[in-house]
This record gives sequence, C-alpha cells and structure tokens, in this order.
Amino acid sequence: MSESSTISSLYAAHLSGAAESSAAEVVTSVGIDIGTTTTQCVVSRLTVKNTAPGTLVPRMEITDKEVVYRSGIHFTPITGDNLVDTDSVFRLINGEFTKAGISPSDIDTGAVIITGETAKKENARRISGEMASYAGDFVVATAGGKLESVIAGRGSGASDYSRRHFLTVANIDIGGGTANIGIYRSGKAIDSCCINVGGRLLRVDPVEGRVVQVSEPMARVLDDLGLSLSPGDRVDPSLLEILCRRMAEVVSNALKQNHLTGLEDALMMTTPLRLDYEVDCVMISGGVADHAYTTAPCDTLDEIARYGDIGPLLGRQVRQVFRDNGMEMIRPAETIRATVIGAGAQTVDVSGSTIVVSDERLPMKNVPVVIPFGEGIPNTPEEMAEAVGRSVSSLYEAMDLEPLAIGIQGGGYLSYKKVQGLARGLLSGLAPLIRAGLPVVVVLEQDSGKVLGQSLRALNPGAQVICVDQIEVSEGDYIDIGRSMAGGTVVPVVIKTLVFETRQS
Amino acid sequence: MNEQELIQSVIGKLVEQGVLQSAPSARDRGAAPVASTGSGFSSGDPVTLPPLDEVKVDSPKNMAALEAMRKTTPARILMGRCGARQKTHSFLHFQADHAAAVDAVFLDVSDACLAENGLFGVQTVVKDKDEYLMKPELGKRLSEDAKKMISERCEKGVQVQIIVVDGLSSTAIEANIGDTVPALIQGLKAEGLSVGTPFFVKYGRVGVMDEVGAILGCDVVVELVGERPGLITAESMSAYMVYKAGEKTVEADRTIISNIHKGGTPPAEAGAHMATVVKQMLAHKASGVALSESMKA
Repeated sequence: MSESSTISSLYAAHLSGAAESSAAEVVTSVGIDIGTTTTQCVVSRLTVKNTAPGTLVPRMEITDKEVVYRSGIHFTPITGDNLVDTDSVFRLINGEFTKAGISPSDIDTGAVIITGETAKKENARRISGEMASYAGDFVVATAGGKLESVIAGRGSGASDYSRRHFLTVANIDIGGGTANIGIYRSGKAIDSCCINVGGRLLRVDPVEGRVVQVSEPMARVLDDLGLSLSPGDRVDPSLLEILCRRMAEVVSNALKQNHLTGLEDALMMTTPLRLDYEVDCVMISGGVADHAYTTAPCDTLDEIARYGDIGPLLGRQVRQVFRDNGMEMIRPAETIRATVIGAGAQTVDVSGSTIVVSDERLPMKNVPVVIPFGEGIPNTPEEMAEAVGRSVSSLYEAMDLEPLAIGIQGGGYLSYKKVQGLARGLLSGLAPLIRAGLPVVVVLEQDSGKVLGQSLRALNPGAQVICVDQIEVSEGDYIDIGRSMAGGTVVPVVIKTLVFETRQS
Repeated sequence: MNEQELIQSVIGKLVEQGVLQSAPSARDRGAAPVASTGSGFSSGDPVTLPPLDEVKVDSPKNMAALEAMRKTTPARILMGRCGARQKTHSFLHFQADHAAAVDAVFLDVSDACLAENGLFGVQTVVKDKDEYLMKPELGKRLSEDAKKMISERCEKGVQVQIIVVDGLSSTAIEANIGDTVPALIQGLKAEGLSVGTPFFVKYGRVGVMDEVGAILGCDVVVELVGERPGLITAESMSAYMVYKAGEKTVEADRTIISNIHKGGTPPAEAGAHMATVVKQMLAHKASGVALSESMKA
C-alpha cells in the first residue's frame, strides 16, 4: 500500500501548487462485529486526500467514507462457556467476502470488535490469531459497554449530527441484550453508559403465545412490576406492553438522573451518565431502532413476536416514552448496523502529513500511550525527562519492557527552542528503552511532528524514531500505527480509547 | 472640558466597561496592542484589547453553535453590531490590526534580530522605503556593495543557500526566522546536504533570489520573505525555493510554502518540511511546475 503511484502523483500535484488536488488514495477497511446475538461485517472504502491548497504544507485527511458492502446479519456461533466458535465465524466471514467480491489480500485495514457477553480475552486472542492470515493490519478489540456505546454513536451518525447541528445528541443503541448510550457534542463522545435492557431478554413463541425464555434482567423487570413469568406461561400484548414500557422508562431515566435507585440501578451495567450537560435530542440505533421510527402495526402477538422476542414492541415503547417526555428523536443514518459500521469506517484515522517514521519498525500494534505532561510541557529538559521517567516506570510496573508511545496533548505553539528541549527531555527520559533497542514513539497533537522527529534523530542518530502529529490521544489509550502511505507522508492510526472502560465498575 | 480631558474620560469609561484593559499585558493571542495617542493618557503605556475570538452577537438563539463557528476561522465573523455600526471592541481591533499591518510594511528588520540569528545584512539597489514601494523592479536587484559582500562572505557551489528577505513584512521576519531557519538547517544537515552562510537582504522582493543564485552558483536557493500583511496577521512569511536560480528563472520555477506563522503553518515545522521539499528538488533537479511534472513521470 505504500508508495503507490496514485499517491506520488498526489504529492506532485501538491508541489505544483494546484488549487486543489483531485488525486486520492482509497483504503479498503473491513469492520467485523462479533456480538452476543449477532455477527456482521461491512466493507468500507476510505478516501485519503490532500485537502490543503497547493501553497500550504500538505494535509492528508480521510475525506470520504463509503460503505460498499453490508453483510447479512448472522447469529453468532457460540460453543459452550461463551466461547466464540472461531472456525464457524471465519467460514461465515469468508463467505461474506466472497459475496462482496473481495479477497483477503484486497483489505488494507480494519477492526474486529468483540462486544457484549463474547467480549472475553480468550475470544480476542483466538480471533487475533485467525486474523493474521489476512493481508491488512487489523485491530482486534474487546469492547466493554462504554466503548461499544461510543462506536455505535459514530456508526449511527449521531457523532456527525452533533457536529453539524451544534447539538448534544444521545445515541441509544438498543440491541438484543443491552442498550448502549453514547453522548456526543461537537462530534466527540463526552460520556457513555450501558444498560441491561434489550429486545431479546424475553423470548416468546408467537404461534403458541407462550413464554420461551425469561432472562435474568427480565426477571428483575418483572419483579419490579410485581409480576412473574415462567417459560410456558401465556402472554398477551397488554402484558408485554407493560414490560416494554417499564424498560423504555429505565432507558429514559438514565438520561435524567445520575443517582439511580431500584430497577434503574440494578440494570445499569456501568457507571451512570454524569449528566453535567443538557441533552438536546436522541437518536436510536441497534436492532430495535427500526421499530422506534416506523409506524408499522405492532399490536397483535404475531406482529410483536415476529422474531421470537419482544424487540418490535420495545422499539415502539421507547418512541412513546421519549415523545411523552417531549424529547426530539432524530432518525439515524444506520440502525442495526451502527456498531459494525462504527468499527469498520470510524476507527481508522490518518496522521498529519509532516511526520518522521522509521518504516522498518512499522506496523506497530497495541502500543500503550502514556501522557507524561498532563499539566503542560515543563520548561526544562530535566523536568521533562523526570516526568517521562515517572510515567514510564509506572507503566512498566504493570508490564514487561515493550514499546510505548509518549502522547503530547494540547495545540499550543512550539518554538524551535522548545522542540529542541523536548527532544532532549524525551531522549533522556526514554534512555532505558532506547538501550533495550525499543523505538522512540511520540504522538503529538500539535503540527510539529517533523521538526521534533528530526530533532530526535539529530540528537541520537542511533535511535529509531516514530513521531506522528495531529493525533489526539489520552492516557490509557492503545494505538496501532500502520506502514506509511502517500510516499511516507502519512501513517494510518487506530486509537483504541479505553478511557471509557477504566471508569467501569 | 478640553480635548485631553475628554479623551481621558472616554478611555476611563471604556476601561470601566471592560472594552479596554488598562493594565499593559504581553502580546498574548490575538490581543493587539494599541499605542497611546500621546494625548496624555496617564502612564503613556500601551493599552491591550481583549482578544477578538469572543462571540459578540447580542441574545443569540444558539450561543454554542456560534462559538463553534467562531472557532473555525480567524476572520471577523459574529462581531455583533450596534445599530448599523461596528461595536467599539471590534472597531478598535480593526484599527489596531490595520496599524500593525502598516508597521509591518514600514518598519525595518532590527539589527538585534539579525545579530540574534547570526545573519549579515546586504541591500538591494533601493535607497529607501518609498522607492522600495513605488519601484518593485528595483527590489529584485542587489547593490554593487551587496554583490561584493556576498562573494566575499559566502561559500560558492554549495547545495543549499538560505536567504532572508524583508519583503512586505519586517514583522513576519522578526517573528518567524528564529524558529524556521534553525529547523531548516537541521533538516538539511540530516539529509546530508551542504548549506551556505545565510544572510539578510534589505528592501528585497522575491526575485532577488535569482541574482543570489547566479552569484553563488548553488543548487537551490531558499528564500524566506515577509508576506504582504493583512488584518488577520501581519506575521505571515513565505518560503520560495528554486533549483538553479539565475537569469533564466521564471515564476513557474518557484516552489512555494506560504502562510508560515504561529496561527498558520507552525514556523519550526515549516522549516523541517522545507528540508524534505529541497531534497525532492535535488533528486529531480527541478523546482516549481517542472518538479511536479517530473514527480508525476
């Protein structure tokens, strides 16, 4: 993928001073979501283009994200102990690739997100191994409730909507087992939570009109209402309506209160939303969403339990409750596929185009990020080195000597003198790593990656330097850095923000 | 009440209302210093205006939206109005920024700045600022003294010769070269390129680089020149780069990186990036349009 002909002409067009270059590189990205209930995949084409006018330093950006193939929605093959049947999953995925007309060697990048009950380390390890046979650089992440909420809101379009309309949007992704709420403002996730409410918590046989299975969270809902149901019991639409109404209220209340009690507290799987902001509107995604926006009839048992559960009625009740509360409901761009699209198209970013990379060290995967200068960059190289040393040693208490990335936040201006000092401070703080043969990896938010990278190399010609800019990272993130593209001018970067996970109880 | 008292009382009122800050503070972001009129404003210290990045629209429907829009541009949007007129705050900023632009053109680059950056200075055939502004052609020709001094003090036949030219903004040169020049030299040395002794040209235009190239016979001339100032910034600098600059050089031979200032392309990063561009020019033995053509091939 590096040094492709399209990209060098892109760079050439840039140097010629063309007002806007029309050349672009297309990256094929695959998203795979292996959830509690369903497994899906999508194929996206990301267009990377220089958006700067010819007389400016090039600025490579992902200018277009197009979903070119959506798989069918399959039930996730599970063996005992909630372990994913990896062989069956990959047979399924390969089948979808064949249908999409792409071979594994066409894939440049992608993400596998393992969500819900299947989000176990053992599953992730086995799936990672399987993905090694694919050509592209894949990220395999287990997403707890909070991260899944964030990804779903990116895929549904809530993130984009908040940016375009200057509103605070709550994306509520309601699936079979959980409702994931992500709050977006100016395109960024500012809060999230996960609630044990979903459309498949009660399984119903529509023909017999009897209960097939009552899940544990559903038992709590019944208990709260002073009702009880067991498999084999008869149900009627009015009873199901009461259940769904209560579940919809639990979701709605999560947007109103942060001190939860009773059923609301029992079903909250993460810390509640902070609610130190005002939500302007909601967007519903996930499998239940289609029924929250349609007016298709949902009155008889046949209509309610058409999938063998109560999802359609839950969707309708969610709409009812939000309407009663006077909350505006915005139609999402994606419903049931929000999470998988979020995983495939929204997790990949590109760095700034003025960077320094030692390509022989790339790709690098799952590099932990430490933020040594949380309070701003110190004044002297000695103080910088000390701060770096502290962060490094606290990280290595928890892991072996492996590559790590120094994240530098903030968009402030860096003078040449400051950059020189920073380079000295970093090299001295990272001295133990450099001695162990590890590369110096720096991820900057400021557009100063090239000058810092060159300074690091000038001061220590022996060290391998990977210095990328215009990427925002936080303490506790993990990043993947792919091989450079566009003639060495940019690298694809995947940031796995786990910040939302650490607060999880 | 005489004129001075009147001025005093108006300034006093503006300070009271927070339109002006009486205490002088550093030139922090966007805050334009306004010189005292010399009319007796007590201390004679410059006053500092609050920054222009605030939304000044009265009773907006969605303040958050306006604030988000304001952040997208340094242009003067959402300044509000008083009847059909500008508000005092934005009017004062306009005047201050205009004054800064005028200063950028009419002031000279200080000797202190040249000394700090280790640059010796030469001059074009232009005699003074008026002639410089009225006869642009003269800004492209070095004086006889200049030619002599360059020949004596600069190494010939190096790969890269850096020159700093005042152009239309001395302010831009003072603000940026301390960051751009060392970053550029570091980048060029990292690429293993030979770099000549940089110097400064007073009353110079872009085309003066062609004479420098002809005298020194270098492969590439990199010229850092002050851009015509505007009301957003008076500190913007451009870099023009030409392969084998000389008499036959035409405008299409110039590769340019523009908008180098703290609010645009960061000056140090621009220097580092230019080193990469110079390397490309040497590899393809071309610059400007010819460079992009040969890179396409």
